[in-house]
Amino acid sequence: MKLSSLKDINTEELATVLDVKGRKALLDKFISLGLPSKKSEQYRYFDIEKLLEKEYKTLNYVPQTIEEGEKIEIVDGVVVSAPKGLRIYYEACEMIDTEHFDPLYYLGHLLSPLTIKIEIDGDTELELLHRFTTSDTLISYRIVLYNQANRHATLYEEFEHEDIENTLVLYGYDMHIAQDSTLRVVKMQSMQDKSYSMVASHKVNVAKNANAVLKSFDLGGGQALQLIKVDLDRYAHVDAGHLLYLNENSKRGTVSQIVHKGEHSTSKQEAKNILDGDARGIFDALIRVEHSAKYTKAEQNSKAILLHEKAYMAAKPQLEIYIDELEASHGATTGQLDGKQLFYLQSRGISYVEARKMLVIAFANTLIETVKDTRQQERIKTAFEKVFYEGHKELV
Amino acid sequence: MSSIMKIENLQAKIGDKQILKGLNLELEPGKVHAIMGPNGAGKSTLSKALVGHYDVEITGGDIIYKGKSIKDMEAEERALEGIFLSFQHPVEIPGVNNAYFLRTALNAKRKHAGKEELNAAEFLRAMKGHLEALGMKSDMISRSLNEGFSGGEKKRNEILQMLILEPEVIILDEIDSGLDIDALRAVSEGINKMKDGKRSFLVITHYSRILDYIEPDYIHVLKDGRIIKTAGPELVSELEEHGYDSIEED
Repeated sequence: MKLSSLKDINTEELATVLDVKGRKALLDKFISLGLPSKKSEQYRYFDIEKLLEKEYKTLNYVPQTIEEGEKIEIVDGVVVSAPKGLRIYYEACEMIDTEHFDPLYYLGHLLSPLTIKIEIDGDTELELLHRFTTSDTLISYRIVLYNQANRHATLYEEFEHEDIENTLVLYGYDMHIAQDSTLRVVKMQSMQDKSYSMVASHKVNVAKNANAVLKSFDLGGGQALQLIKVDLDRYAHVDAGHLLYLNENSKRGTVSQIVHKGEHSTSKQEAKNILDGDARGIFDALIRVEHSAKYTKAEQNSKAILLHEKAYMAAKPQLEIYIDELEASHGATTGQLDGKQLFYLQSRGISYVEARKMLVIAFANTLIETVKDTRQQERIKTAFEKVFYEGHKELV
Repeated sequence: MSSIMKIENLQAKIGDKQILKGLNLELEPGKVHAIMGPNGAGKSTLSKALVGHYDVEITGGDIIYKGKSIKDMEAEERALEGIFLSFQHPVEIPGVNNAYFLRTALNAKRKHAGKEELNAAEFLRAMKGHLEALGMKSDMISRSLNEGFSGGEKKRNEILQMLILEPEVIILDEIDSGLDIDALRAVSEGINKMKDGKRSFLVITHYSRILDYIEPDYIHVLKDGRIIKTAGPELVSELEEHGYDSIEED
């Protein structure tokens, strides 16, 4: 399948190709947004057209018996195991956002008529492993995550591959965080294959007085973009943090919209980006405060360190505000390692390369240390150091 | 007595501004040399030039340390060879754990000296006495380096580094600035503990207060990029009384 071919066919043919079956509204939404191109604001820095032009194999998604396991394991878009007692099943998604900015959010839903639904009904910690085993393939799946009211759960998400060469992964969550509950999602992605691509398109509904904590630690190679839309109800809060470490010619990042819909809703979004080689980092983030969202507090910040003259950071924090009664701030800085800090370390006998390494790791650690669980914190630190050393063997 | 460090006709600039204009100074082993001078005389530039700061360009003269020129050496090499600067304004480095930093610096020094590196437990044992002597809480070494430290805590942390790295030439740049009397006493005791008859101290200061605690052997007056007078500790009271303008060049 070549995704770019979708733009050349008429609505009736599209309805057949995408197996729409009563989901015409979705198809209309997809058609109205159109396939993304380099002219699309959200994909401007991502080279999406190249990915859509490729010919991919497609998979038949046949749900299989879910084995009991310590973690949720999804292999090429199919759930193979899950912890005992967890409610996880396939179902058509009924709560698709009608105002998402990303056409691939809708395409993902059209390609995945059955979604993986996970119901979290308890104060719990879950681990979810995405595993990929096929090359030259379009792997498309969607997950609905439902956190019951008054529950406080954490999902640790990670990725592995056996073979992912030239594969495009198109996945995403529809998260529903019910009233008075907390859902923390900690995503760690360190697959180093340079040829795969991933577009993760998420929607997060945060109900009244609920909390969403979305932390992503993206250390991967190749091309990947996460697109997140968050809707905040009254007194809802989102704390989003994104660490990006890129090397060589990787292009990765975050495009997000946090929409304050309810009064007294609060948001904090922080991006830390470390870019080496001729990598390109993306942080294109909008906070929108609607008329209904009086007394909003919103804070957004992006910091980038360029370790190589060819590295490039596309940072675009934006505020779109329709009311006066709020507190909001945003900012972005891009620079190199702090010369004073480097010199201070060197003045104590620490070599230039070691000092540089210490400062890069320190920059990352300030975000990694926002993960509350110290075991997970150490896991992320270890993964970061491993990937960083791999790219800087001269430092070891 | 032969000097441990000899600064010969040193000329240095920062940006386009020539600041040191032919500075001569010899540091004797085991002695405390105090450099005093008005604002803009070149005191901080001198300290930066000695440790190889990137701001400073040496345009002439030489710095001879233990018989060898160090003016082209990198900062870390100078540190490993035993030159230490206690900064006037130590930088904060969020995310770098203080203990990790101190152990990395100590192990770099030990490795350079051909000694075994210390593991975490050995390092903490080695630190315990120093922390107590400086009146530092043990949690200060588990925090990020200098982050959120008060002025006094930062200076104590500088002296802690000096104690563990055991340098041979110790440059103290305005060590007393921002210190209350208790912190000044603790810091001074740490410095005095390092006096062993072999190490040299270069105390750079605006005011004589610190010299009540660290007794100098020599006072050097630095003005307009040159040492214009060298005398014994008695010069301090003259400076206090009459100021720098009254000093006649030797």
